[in-house]
Amino acid sequence: MSSEKALSRFHQAISVPGRQLMHKVPLAFVRKKVLGGGGRAVNQEIPLIPFIDFLLCIVLFLLASFSASGELPIDKNVKLPKAENVIDMTDAPIVAITGTQILVDGNPAGSTRAIIEANRLQKIDDLFARLKAKRDLWSQLNPGKPFPGVVVLQVDRKVPALVVKSVFQTAALGGFPNVSFMVGRLGGASSGGGGE
Amino acid sequence: MAGIDVGGHGGKRATNHDIPLIPFIDFLLCLVAFLLVTAVWSQMARINADARVPGPPTSDPPEEQKKEKQLHVEMRGEHKFQLVWKEGSTVVNTIDVDRKKVNAGADEYRYPDLAAKIKEEWTKNGTHRAASDKKLDQAVLHTDNSTPFSDVIAVIDAIYTPQRDYDLGGKLKKFPAFNVTFAMN
Repeated sequence: MSSEKALSRFHQAISVPGRQLMHKVPLAFVRKKVLGGGGRAVNQEIPLIPFIDFLLCIVLFLLASFSASGELPIDKNVKLPKAENVIDMTDAPIVAITGTQILVDGNPAGSTRAIIEANRLQKIDDLFARLKAKRDLWSQLNPGKPFPGVVVLQVDRKVPALVVKSVFQTAALGGFPNVSFMVGRLGGASSGGGGE
Repeated sequence: MAGIDVGGHGGKRATNHDIPLIPFIDFLLCLVAFLLVTAVWSQMARINADARVPGPPTSDPPEEQKKEKQLHVEMRGEHKFQLVWKEGSTVVNTIDVDRKKVNAGADEYRYPDLAAKIKEEWTKNGTHRAASDKKLDQAVLHTDNSTPFSDVIAVIDAIYTPQRDYDLGGKLKKFPAFNVTFAMN
C-alpha cells in the first residue's frame, strides 16, 4: 500500500525511455563521432600570411627589374640579324639604319638612299654633327672623365655594307670608335662578344 | 582577418584594428599583373667592332709599333672565303675556305666551316693568348659594298668563335680572341 501512495505523486505514468541518446548529446565532437563523421575535415583555411609574403616577393622582384623607359627603342622598319657570340646591351647612343634613312636616337641624321646612289664610301655630315654634339654634351656633363666612345648601330639586315661602312667611319670620325651592332640572340645566351 | 592587438582598453577610441587582408591581397595581385604586363624581356644583345682611327694630336712622339700578325677575312668571293695572315703589308699565309651556308632558323644562316677554320688558325698563329694580355688579335673584314648586313654579321659571328681567357682583376672570363674592324676600301 505504501508503494502505491508514493507513485500517486506523479501525474503521468512512468514510461520506458526511447532511443534518443544521440539527439540529446550536447558535445559536437561526440555527436560527430557517434554519427560516424570522423573523416578528414573538408573545410581548409588558406594560409594567408605565407601567401602575402610570396606576393610581396614577386612584387619586389618585378619592381627591381622594372624599366620605366620600356623596351630598347627598335625602329619598326629595322629587322635585326641574329648572332651567337654576343654580349649584353649597353647604354649608348643608338644609330638606326633603315632602308631609307639614318636616325640618331630617333632623330633623322641622313639618307640611306643618298649613300647607295652615290655608290662610294662617304662621311655623312648630318650624322657627324649629331654625334659630335652628343660627345660635346657628354664631356660637359662629365668633366675630366674619359669618354667611352660607344655607339650602338641598329642596322636592318638588308642594308648594304656600303651604308654600314659609311656610318661606321662617320661614327669613328665623330668620336665614337667603339661601335657595336645590335643583334638578336641566336640559340642560348653567350657571354662572349667583342673586345672592349 | 588579421588583427593588431595593442593591449590597451582604457582609451576612448578603439586601438585594436583588423587589417583588411582581402583588399590588400587584391591590391598586390593587381600590382603583380601590371608589372608582369609592363615587364621587359629583352632578347637584344650586341656584337662589337672597333674603328681604329688616330687619336687627338699629342706632342709625344708616336711609339715604335711592332708589326703584328693580322687576320684578313676576304668575303668578296662568291664561292669561297679567303683568310690571309699579314704582318704589315707582308702576306704570311693564305687559306681558302668554302662558302658553305648552314641554315640557323628563319632567314638566319651561319658559316660553321669558316668559324672552325678561324678557330684552328688562331690556335696555330694567334699572338695574344695569355689571360693577362690586355690586347686582342686583330681581324680585318673585307666586304663588297653590296653585301647585305645579315651576311656581314654572320661572318663577324664566325670570327668571334675562338675564345680565350681574359683577366678582369683576378677573375678569368672568356672573351673572343679577335677584335674585328672593317677594311675601308
